[in-house]
Amino acid sequence: MTRKMILVDTSKCTGCKACTVACKEWNELPAEKTQLVTSYQTQKDFSPKTWTYVTFIEKYKDQTMNFLMRKAQCFHCGDPACLKACSSKAIRQTESGFVVIDHKKCIGCGYCTENCPFGVPKVDQTLQKSFKCTGCIDRVENNLKPACVQTCQTGALMFGDYSDLLGQAKNRLSEVQKTHPQAQLYGEKEMGGTTYVYLLMDRPEVYGLPVNPTIPLSLTLWKDVVRPVGGIAVGGAAAAVVIGVFANIVKGSYRSKDD
Amino acid sequence: MGINTQTKKKESQSPKILRFTKGERISHWVHALAFFLLLFTGLGILNPSFQPIMNVFGGIQIARLIHRGAAIVFVVIVGLMFVVGNPSHHWEWLKSVFKFTKSDWQHVRAFPKEFFGGHGDYPPQDKYNGGEKINSLITIFGSFFITLSGVVMWMAPWFPAGLVRWAYPVHDLSMFMMVAASLGHIYLGVLHPDSRAALPGMFSGYVSAKFARAHHALWYERVQNQQQKL
Ligand code: HEM
Repeated sequence: MTRKMILVDTSKCTGCKACTVACKEWNELPAEKTQLVTSYQTQKDFSPKTWTYVTFIEKYKDQTMNFLMRKAQCFHCGDPACLKACSSKAIRQTESGFVVIDHKKCIGCGYCTENCPFGVPKVDQTLQKSFKCTGCIDRVENNLKPACVQTCQTGALMFGDYSDLLGQAKNRLSEVQKTHPQAQLYGEKEMGGTTYVYLLMDRPEVYGLPVNPTIPLSLTLWKDVVRPVGGIAVGGAAAAVVIGVFANIVKGSYRSKDD
Repeated sequence: MGINTQTKKKESQSPKILRFTKGERISHWVHALAFFLLLFTGLGILNPSFQPIMNVFGGIQIARLIHRGAAIVFVVIVGLMFVVGNPSHHWEWLKSVFKFTKSDWQHVRAFPKEFFGGHGDYPPQDKYNGGEKINSLITIFGSFFITLSGVVMWMAPWFPAGLVRWAYPVHDLSMFMMVAASLGHIYLGVLHPDSRAALPGMFSGYVSAKFARAHHALWYERVQNQQQKL
């Protein structure tokens, strides 16, 4: 399957939250008790049972208010930190570009939660499994759109082949920039190119998104330096012991004296 | 050092000398057993290829629980041994391993030759030689950092993600260093023809005077002098 992309065009989003309901519906996730966080936002963060929600920011300028709305879910990174951090090889990346957790392998250690620069995966402490948006991989691999895209009424969510859709996103961006000069694409270069790409109306920090998300340095150090170097240290010590025992056998040291 | 009955004559002709008190031996073995339990229960999370082995504990989730339980023993019991009973020897050990002398360095330089069964030249050593001090320091710093990082990993939601991320490499680095040191430590205690005479010191508390004189002459002399003054 070719590399896919979902464009989240926030300039077309009306904040109706139908996408969040469709997600619950398709993925059979129960509703959770919500509360008002700010503006029209009723969900603060992801949870094991809430994989997508809409953030609302009210931006005032020249006596007028503008909503900055963003559907939040897993970005499905091209270079995912969660996959690198996973203790159990439970996270894989599909050809189509989605990052999915295999719940048979997941042990709920939470290493993905701590290392995701966007704080997306959440561990269910009862099930001891980590949960997040699957990109509706079960739909996508059967030539259907993800549930959120399918339900979106305004065209704020679009699904297609990566190269086609990225071109469209760029055309749309130059259109939007005429009225919103700060508008930009987010996800084209971030984290190795994400599968969910955003057209934001303003700079990412205004939305509370990290300006330059990367694989944490500590994660690279842990997996690519500490692990191999530590392995060599332990292997070296073991080899020294084996050589020591052999040297002593050859020298006959074990027979000579015993005190 | 107010130690009496440091040496005692066993029935036969081989004199023995007290090296480790009961408290020290308890600390050593509690720490050692907890360490290996922590290591084995940690392996299933270190690498998924170890996960089938976790069935001996009743599965990976039980292993994770045992890891946390053993961590408490590893820290609290051994920590308590520094304050309850007769802990003065614990503190003497702690003080002495932080005092790295010239003769310790000379021992360390000659040590590789000794390790592989040769004979290195070094001046008479005190109760702990240079190599033992290094092993002790790895244990002290390793235990300190593995505990700090382990607590952060355990209580991850209480700490910012930016800190928890650093706990993982710290936990692993401490673990690798301590495992490497413990391999050498076990070899010297159990398999090395010269130094394994020290092993009874961790069981009965006593080592042979002959061993003490040959390996820890400074300590041996001091204990002997104290005996004579009594
Ligand atoms: C002394 C206090 C310690 C505490 C509080 C502690 C706690 C933890 C915690 C919370 C984890 C995360 C795994 C999970 O969620 O189940 C962990 C992992 C681990 N621990 Fe410990 N631990 C301690 C000591 C040790 C010691 C002494 C060793 C080894 C000798 C050890 C070896 C490991 C290993 C190998 C892992 C897996 C790390 C990885 O995934 O790379 N731990 N520990």
